[in-house]
Amino acid sequence: MTDHDNLDTLAAEFVLGTLPPEERASVIARREDDQAFDDLILAWEERLVPLLNEVTPIQPGPDLLARVEKRLDELEATTPVSLRRPPTATVTALQQRVRRWQWSTAVTSAAALVLVAVLAFQPAEQPQSFVAVFQHDDQQPAFMLTVDLDNRQLNIRPVTAEPVQNRSYQLWIKADELGPDPRSVGVLTNNMTIDQSALSQYDPQLLKKATFGISVEPAGGSPTGKPTGPAIHGYLYPTTEGNSGQRF
Amino acid sequence: MDSESRHPSDEHHTPPGNPGVVPTATSSDIGQLIQRVVRRDRSAFAQLYEATAPKLLGTVMRIVRDRAWADDVIQDAYIKVWQKAGQYDAAKASPIAWMASIARNSAIDELRKQPARRSMGDEEIDEIASVQPTAQAELEEQQAVNSLNSCIDELEKDRQDMVRLAYLNGWSRDELAAHFDQPVNTVKTWLHRALKQLKRCLAP
Repeated sequence: MTDHDNLDTLAAEFVLGTLPPEERASVIARREDDQAFDDLILAWEERLVPLLNEVTPIQPGPDLLARVEKRLDELEATTPVSLRRPPTATVTALQQRVRRWQWSTAVTSAAALVLVAVLAFQPAEQPQSFVAVFQHDDQQPAFMLTVDLDNRQLNIRPVTAEPVQNRSYQLWIKADELGPDPRSVGVLTNNMTIDQSALSQYDPQLLKKATFGISVEPAGGSPTGKPTGPAIHGYLYPTTEGNSGQRF
Repeated sequence: MDSESRHPSDEHHTPPGNPGVVPTATSSDIGQLIQRVVRRDRSAFAQLYEATAPKLLGTVMRIVRDRAWADDVIQDAYIKVWQKAGQYDAAKASPIAWMASIARNSAIDELRKQPARRSMGDEEIDEIASVQPTAQAELEEQQAVNSLNSCIDELEKDRQDMVRLAYLNGWSRDELAAHFDQPVNTVKTWLHRALKQLKRCLAP
């Protein structure tokens, strides 16, 4: 039996629901980081979901929706603003683009790649700036990237990311206009900085729509011109306090 | 299972053919609502709930078999739908499969945490035997149901029941082993074979 068969059986039994609790927990953890495995699970969900045709619908009580909405209100009220996704169309579109990139990258290079979300915000009196956050997990940002759109200057700041011996962090840009593969923006120095003008060749409108990623590469950067290193997962991360996210 | 443990509001079971209750939203309607939920549209969220909650509550109820518990699971499931909508990928999952997986996973995780809270009984066997076909909103959906059913029909009878009791009623390997009077490892092997056979049968 191949590994793929084993994984597929694991995915199948997870969806069927019969895995013992500890195996279920490990599947749930693994699918977060393993896109191919997650795909196996999704395929099994599609295969088996027609069985739900045999389930008799039950009309929920009249107050259940209100309960759900109240809980949502509570969550929105207690989640720190800095961790909440702002309800902007821009962010949504970007978020979807990030997902697309994750998948297309997985397909084209088979390399796990970092991801990032880009957040556009435009305080009225300030130049247009972008902030991307690169996260190791859902808790801590690894890097933050700011792009001053008017001057096409970028600035990258490690938050929890630390230099790795004999490895380099490499910043990538992806946009529809640049083709299907991410394009290298540059390799971070040992001091975790990058040439501030590395984006000067790009049109501001393209930058506004682009997504960025960071991969961990062999020292000096990817030998192939494409991301090859392990992933730092991206996650949307609002950057401003207050109501800048509420304008739409 | 003793009838007292069933919540009295089980009587809310949807009568067949009641157009006010059977969700009439198509898969594509639901997909569009999810996209609006991604944009934090609370009114779309309420519509998504109205369109899908009866099916998901029926699904969860079948697993946890307690109405108050099922309500709690449904609440959690819709919170997850709100939180995870941005991760939904229409290229990889149908909207209802995505939502159903959230509800089923919530129900099964809850059940595994508190297995003693649900009592099992023979009526579950009757349940899987008396399938009430429901109206399909779309031809494509009906075809998927027919394909899966005919593939399940090709399995040995015990394995058909095992697949349904596991998927629909949330039975664990241990519970299946006890009911079918087989060692747990045998049940595991049977399930794996049944799933592989289903996959082969469903392959285009």
